[in-house]
Amino acid sequence: MIVVDKLCYRSGLRYVNAGEKFAFSMITLLFCVISRSLVIAGIVFAVNAYLTVKKGHIAAKQYIKLLAVPFTFLILSTLAIIVNISKVPLDAYAIPVGSFFITGSFQSLLFGIQLIATAMASVTCLYFLSLNTTMTDILGVLTKLHCPEILTELMLLIYRFIFVLMDTASAIMVSQKSRLGNRDFRTSVNSFGKMAAGLLLRAFKRSNALYDAMESRCYDGKIRVLEENHPARKKEIAAIAVFELILLVLTIWRSFL
Amino acid sequence: MSKKEKILLKAAIAFALMFAVTPAVNAMHIMEGYLPVKYCIAWGAICVPFLVTGLISLKKRVKENRKSIMLIAMAGAFIFVISSLKIPSVTGSCSHMTGTGLGAILFGPAAVSVLGIIVLLFQAILLAHGGLTTLGANTFSMAIAGPLLSFGIYQLCKKMNVNRKISVFLAAFLGDIFTYCVTSIQLALAYPSEAGGVAASAVKFLGVFAPTQLPLAVIEGILTVIIVIGLEAYAKPELKAIGFLKEAK
Repeated sequence: MIVVDKLCYRSGLRYVNAGEKFAFSMITLLFCVISRSLVIAGIVFAVNAYLTVKKGHIAAKQYIKLLAVPFTFLILSTLAIIVNISKVPLDAYAIPVGSFFITGSFQSLLFGIQLIATAMASVTCLYFLSLNTTMTDILGVLTKLHCPEILTELMLLIYRFIFVLMDTASAIMVSQKSRLGNRDFRTSVNSFGKMAAGLLLRAFKRSNALYDAMESRCYDGKIRVLEENHPARKKEIAAIAVFELILLVLTIWRSFL
Repeated sequence: MSKKEKILLKAAIAFALMFAVTPAVNAMHIMEGYLPVKYCIAWGAICVPFLVTGLISLKKRVKENRKSIMLIAMAGAFIFVISSLKIPSVTGSCSHMTGTGLGAILFGPAAVSVLGIIVLLFQAILLAHGGLTTLGANTFSMAIAGPLLSFGIYQLCKKMNVNRKISVFLAAFLGDIFTYCVTSIQLALAYPSEAGGVAASAVKFLGVFAPTQLPLAVIEGILTVIIVIGLEAYAKPELKAIGFLKEAK
């Protein structure tokens, strides 16, 4: 149901130490956003795509499809940045409309391109993490980073419940569809609302039953699971360190240029 | 046709095409890497007091009744699932609810602020809606500002004895609109316009997202009303347990 969650269990990099993957994607993401340079964005994009598609064995077609998810937002908001309405024409282009101009400057066009590149490169960082690391591993890293206990516990529970509720929701929706519940717009809105109400009701009932079941198994507010231990390899740490160092040098170099 | 008219026509066609191929319309999550670092940090910092308040209130609730953590977790999962499902839309593109308005009405704004950041984190990691660097900004607009307004409007309507259906609609609808306005302002602050500064930029952002966000807000309002009607019909005891309906009616 959730594509990313399915794919990450099959990833070739799944059993690499989660802390390593987390650190790599976070630090790279930071450099991307701080530097805002086309060169760094290009390098990061290439490296992440290589790692995810070649090493992680995610199908290239699927990867491209996933990269297109934030497309609407990217196009619409970049449009809002590079298009201006003003009484004075700017240097790149100017289309007169009445007494105003739809206009933009070369500087803002360049800025827009930089922004798109940075954003796409950042998305590959995010995907590197989410397509190669399972959610439980990410939660393990968060626990080690001393995230408040109630937060990680809630996250673990919510993550589990998401799939339970999604199953229920899709079952309800299938039966609604088979009874012409999506015949026209009015009925489909009505069906969706009723499905959601039924879903919440079942969620409440389930949470009661679940609590009873867990308490009878000595639940005291902590869910302890055995963690699979995949120690970090020195070679990988060295490679990550070298890569981040290159990004650091590039960032500093670009900011002085 | 003159050259200028041709350009204008081409631009218009491109604009129309963009909406035709739109893969998904979401509530406005600011995407990964779109905000400059200082804005990421600033919005994150603004969220901290709200989150701490939320966490403290959750901890208190859990201490009083251990069972409530299950209920709260289910509520979080419910918000995630509702926001990840396609909702019917007029234009044929697939859009998604935010679900936080409903959450605020049912569970109160404090719980929703904490649940909201978790849901947003899951949305970023599992669905690539939003991102990790923009988590602070998105949390502020979707899990704090919108729900607070929804909750406020709902309480106000309750005091003024407005019909419950109307007040639920108003709360969900205006909460969505407010979220969309806050996000536009967040973007405008980060990227002021070359001609006219922050205010002009905010108008532009409001303008480009209006065609997707306004219908979404209306549908979200209607759906929330239907959900609340359904719950009132079938889940009265549960609604009493979470304090949505008064005991002994």
